[in-house]
Amino acid sequence: MSGLRQKPTPGWLPFLPAAWLVVFFLVPFAIMLTVSVAHRVQGGFYEPGFEFDSYMRFFSVFFGRILLTSVLISVGAAVICVLLAFPFTLGLARMNKRGQTLVLVILLSVLSLSEVIIGFSLSTLLSKTAGIGNLFAALGVTEESRAYTPSLFALMAGMCYLALPYSVLVLYPPVSRLDPELGEAARMMGASPFQAFRTITVPMLRKPMMGALILVFVFTLGIYLLPQVLGQPQHWTLSVHITDQAIFQSNLPFAAAMAVFLLLVSLAMVGLSLLLGRDKGGGA
Amino acid sequence: MTELSLRSITKRFGRMTAVEDVTLDIPDGTFVCLLGPSGCGKTTLLRLLAGLEVPSQGQVIVAGEDQTNVPSEEREFGMVFQSLALFPHLSVAENIAYPLTIRGRPKADVRARVEELLDLVQLSGLGDRRVHQLSGGQRQRVAIARGLTIDPKVFLLDEPLSALDANLREHMQVELRQLQQRLGVTTIVVTHDQKEALTMADMVIVMNEGRVQQIGSPMEIYRDPANAFVAGFIGTSNLLPCTLNDDRSIEVFGHRFEADAEDRIKGDPGSGLMLSVRPEDVRTEAQGTGPTAKVIFIRDLGESIQFVLDRDGHEITALYAPSARPDIRLDDEVGVSFAPGKRVVFPA
Amino acid sequence: MMKRREFIASASALALGTLAAPTIARAQGTSLKVGTYGGYFEESFKKHIYPDFTAATGIEVDSIAEPTGEAWLVQLQQAARAGQAPADVSMMAQVARIRGERAGLWAELDRGAMTNVDNLPEHFVHAYEDGRFYGTGAVAWYIALVTNTDVYPEAPESWAALWDPANENSLGLLALASNSFLLEITATTHFGGTDILATEEGVLEVMNKLAEVKPNVRLWYRDEGQFQQALETGEIPMGQYYHDVTGLAAADGKPVRSTFPKEGAVLDSGSWVVSKASDALEASQVFIDYMSQPEIQSKLSRFVGTAPTIPRDMTDLTDEEFAAVSSDLPPILPRYELYVDKADWVNQKWSEIVTG
Repeated sequence: MSGLRQKPTPGWLPFLPAAWLVVFFLVPFAIMLTVSVAHRVQGGFYEPGFEFDSYMRFFSVFFGRILLTSVLISVGAAVICVLLAFPFTLGLARMNKRGQTLVLVILLSVLSLSEVIIGFSLSTLLSKTAGIGNLFAALGVTEESRAYTPSLFALMAGMCYLALPYSVLVLYPPVSRLDPELGEAARMMGASPFQAFRTITVPMLRKPMMGALILVFVFTLGIYLLPQVLGQPQHWTLSVHITDQAIFQSNLPFAAAMAVFLLLVSLAMVGLSLLLGRDKGGGA
Repeated sequence: MTELSLRSITKRFGRMTAVEDVTLDIPDGTFVCLLGPSGCGKTTLLRLLAGLEVPSQGQVIVAGEDQTNVPSEEREFGMVFQSLALFPHLSVAENIAYPLTIRGRPKADVRARVEELLDLVQLSGLGDRRVHQLSGGQRQRVAIARGLTIDPKVFLLDEPLSALDANLREHMQVELRQLQQRLGVTTIVVTHDQKEALTMADMVIVMNEGRVQQIGSPMEIYRDPANAFVAGFIGTSNLLPCTLNDDRSIEVFGHRFEADAEDRIKGDPGSGLMLSVRPEDVRTEAQGTGPTAKVIFIRDLGESIQFVLDRDGHEITALYAPSARPDIRLDDEVGVSFAPGKRVVFPA
Repeated sequence: MMKRREFIASASALALGTLAAPTIARAQGTSLKVGTYGGYFEESFKKHIYPDFTAATGIEVDSIAEPTGEAWLVQLQQAARAGQAPADVSMMAQVARIRGERAGLWAELDRGAMTNVDNLPEHFVHAYEDGRFYGTGAVAWYIALVTNTDVYPEAPESWAALWDPANENSLGLLALASNSFLLEITATTHFGGTDILATEEGVLEVMNKLAEVKPNVRLWYRDEGQFQQALETGEIPMGQYYHDVTGLAAADGKPVRSTFPKEGAVLDSGSWVVSKASDALEASQVFIDYMSQPEIQSKLSRFVGTAPTIPRDMTDLTDEEFAAVSSDLPPILPRYELYVDKADWVNQKWSEIVTG
């Protein structure tokens, strides 16, 4: 050996992720937990304490229904997003490099649009007076213009618009790495293009698809503005109610308790989907 | 009978012509090697046969039927890809069974056929393994077995052994050849390894720059290269400028010798010609009888001794068996002769 | 577009305020720090009020933009614990003012030194239960019945229009009990006044009556801009909205109108209070006293668009100027205590019965 052995990275580097996890996740989460068991002062704010009143308030048919609504809406958005993103990404991977870069840049620029802009743009686009209803009426598809918002459809459109780029970005790397010879091999062995897609492409991309589903699910679970702008009261998700409690009712213990519960539910859903999507005998 | 014919096949990708005006006939049961340097169009030609590419012009005829526009899945061919293209999410048995399951064959039949094939490629008992649990050679066998599952009309292999190390590759060459002889299936292997082509094939098709250079048995290709490219690509050849006289005598470096009846003369007198002689057919002699050259390099290859000679900037390589080693040393000036009947003359 | 009460924006402000306050600690200078809602209010005060105040009293004003909602209250509370006052005088919404009162956060003021306070009606003079005076009404505004003039050529006369089956799917209402005051509107329209809201049974009865409007509601809005735009285009042609803002939009040529229904419009307001941690008590009293003068109230009505907190006859507003911001009809006064004392219960029932 000649000279000192140079380490390419400093030894403390591996601890950095752990430190970040503590600072940016565990500490805020601990604060949230503490607040969730604090004592709510009616007409005031809250004072330190240890009680489960906020959690007890949550366990009701009313909030159970809201939780179910939130989960169903997010699951719906996740499924729709992945169903749209999957063929889109397959097509994208077949484009030439310049085309791919262009599409990816456009997708990334969509990410820069905020929930507010998307929500208000869609509510205008789907409105009776300034929206596509006029176009349909002008084309004679419908007798007269009508509003398509607020509705579940409008809410889903907004959520999917917001989350679609993420699902494409999750799917893109594995899809572009997929060896085209695999599909050709299937064709040579007698599989029609659709059979090859069903028996080879889809199973091989099951894990990334699961990843995209989970990402969109968790992501849309936290959306609180779109349901207010595009949805009817029955589509107001738990996130909307958390916002109401935190901002308008100043009931931080209750808001925190609901947030803790939302976190637990999303963790449970992620765990469940990982369990269901587990590869039977180790992957590629 | 699965006779395979290509009629004036041309394939262009944009402005690039990958395969140009290829016409050939492959008789039933032949083991064919498509040989050429990388980028010569051999893989494209194989993919045209497979139906994975549609020719820009020309026809693919299988057993007398025009199959130019028949999609791959209806051709009933077997194929081994360069990457092997084994399905990582399926077991070995499921990989081999794929052509049958996709056709909806009964499970019992499929199982029996898979056992038979595993046995054929000596992988019995490994059917439940995943592909990533196998060695390189085992994967190769799975790919081959999978290509043979449906008793294909034609078996296509694209550089099937290129990923294996030298020993295993030689072993697999023999095995593949034996397998083909046992099954009698028309087999077309793409390779850039001339040694591989010569050891396995009944028929070698040499390609360069999208065109077929020569079609023939390994012996023909080796002994009687059609042109300078084939001579240079197959084995090692000494290529020396020469002239041909009207009396069929050949002149090299100012020395004239008579052509034998066995020598192959493919050029016309007066034109620029090349003499091609294999190293084992070059002999050194006492000075005076032929052109002289200087010894610039001697190497013991174990099975033979290699002498590299220089004459006016042209390298001439000679190979001797160790038992017949001539007594010459580095920097010696020696006479050179070329074995009668082993000389080929063609246009430069 | 004028957006004075940016509810959504206050979300992040609250989160920051809760976790990171107090951060707005500044050196106590000779000037008076006055907090008003950030945006339109703060800009208007800086432009139209503070320069004259400084000229008249010699006190410099350090203008501070505060978030709406409860965030500012939280910040003031936490700062006061550390002996700091991010602002000496603050404009507070009524619910927050009452919460601050319960917490004893507001400094007692010397009413004897503030003669102009006598101009104000009783509901704009705030005192602790034991009678200690601590604040006054600062600005007031009306939430009225608004309509798109293209869709409704005739102005509606009563809040009862909200219940009219003819208006199916065409209303925009504020989404929360504590900012829409729809309970007070319903009680006044159908139960002869807001007294019914004194008991929980009464509140439930009112809520069930209010729930009957649900088929008519197209949008329960939290963000003003969303409704105003929809109102102007006729997308959502009727609803409750701020009288002054609607008037400005109409003056701009938009096909909208604001009507004071015969039951009255909701009079909401902000109040001046002084943090107990402030050491500029005297200057604060001068400021609040100054703001209670009739000419200043008139100026606010003209330039900021708020309703005067003093009786109309004390102002020099013309009929037109007065109508732009207020009405002679008796207003519906919100029962703020309901949203302080029974906040969680009202909110829960509201979610279940009205918006649920």
